[in-house]
Amino acid sequence: MTIRERVGISEYRIASSPQELVTYGLGSCLGVTIYDPESKRGGLAHTLLPKPRPGMDTSRKSKFVETAIRLMVEELVERGAALDCLEAKVFGGANMFESLQGEGGKSIGERNIDCARETLADLGIVITAEDVAGNFGRTLVFALATGKVTVKSVREGRKELEF
Amino acid sequence: MTYNKLTEVHLDALREVSNVGMGHAATALSQMVGETIYLHVPQVTLTDIMNVPDLLGGPEQVVVGVTLQVRGDARGNILLVFPRESAEQLVCHLLGRCPHDDLFDEMGISTVKEVGNILASSYLGAMSSLLDLSLIPSIPALANDMAGAVIDFLLIELSEEGDQALMIETEFHGNSPDEKLIRGHFFLLPDPASLEVIIDAVGGLNDNT
Repeated sequence: MTIRERVGISEYRIASSPQELVTYGLGSCLGVTIYDPESKRGGLAHTLLPKPRPGMDTSRKSKFVETAIRLMVEELVERGAALDCLEAKVFGGANMFESLQGEGGKSIGERNIDCARETLADLGIVITAEDVAGNFGRTLVFALATGKVTVKSVREGRKELEF
Repeated sequence: MTYNKLTEVHLDALREVSNVGMGHAATALSQMVGETIYLHVPQVTLTDIMNVPDLLGGPEQVVVGVTLQVRGDARGNILLVFPRESAEQLVCHLLGRCPHDDLFDEMGISTVKEVGNILASSYLGAMSSLLDLSLIPSIPALANDMAGAVIDFLLIELSEEGDQALMIETEFHGNSPDEKLIRGHFFLLPDPASLEVIIDAVGGLNDNT
């Protein structure tokens, strides 16, 4: 039986085949997976904010997109993954309430997406799939055996998608 | 003031103030739907943001959430969460007709938002006069989705300050005999920076009595 481990808000977890990592109900939060196809090991993060700003409480680094990605990559490389083999996928960053658009600018969801793209580009990691933005929630199931991520939503007309 | 400095006395005071506010809100809702609305004892919970979706019945439960920001002397957010069937029931009840397929057409959305508006206004109105603070609700916004997704923007806001959430929560329900209960949860999530204002105002209240 496949062991399914839950990743909570502001957490990240590393696992390997045949395990599955799951995170529920991403709205504006961003889910990022990093996968090493060689060792079939990877990580999933459920992040809230782009990156720490001066004066912000940074005791929990995994709540930021930037630091969570770097921590996952570090840990995977430490366990023997080659940096240039890693593949990333990015999910979530929705804007659930139309009227809560960030004042005169980007919504928090969009800022999270931008930050993930920048951080991954900086590390030289390719984004192989994205299912981001929109105005609906997403649940992710990350199968370490294949590297595939199943995205579930309760929005009508949207089926379960695999990335 | 950070959440960590809150004492049991403070939490009690918040519970009491919220009770008064919620009493007014329930009366307003009763009048609107024409049936008695019952309240549970309010709960004040200080918890890690990670636990909040589970406290709402689980991150994947489909809910209708109405949210309003609190502005004025103290800041924070109000969140009203209805299980999907309850929101449907509420809309049918208030509109006198049930939308066939798509419950959340323009009218349905408007109706649930208005309920949120009335509840929040009566809650904050009662709290304002009790504490002698000016507390103003913003325009309501609505989302109909998984609970985790509906509330995560609130957690994002809170996580800028720390990793904890203070939730003042009241569960309410109607009493219609035909199983189709209207039920929901009302949450007030004060900003950490505004807690001191509220606690001070409560303190002033105690001095006078």
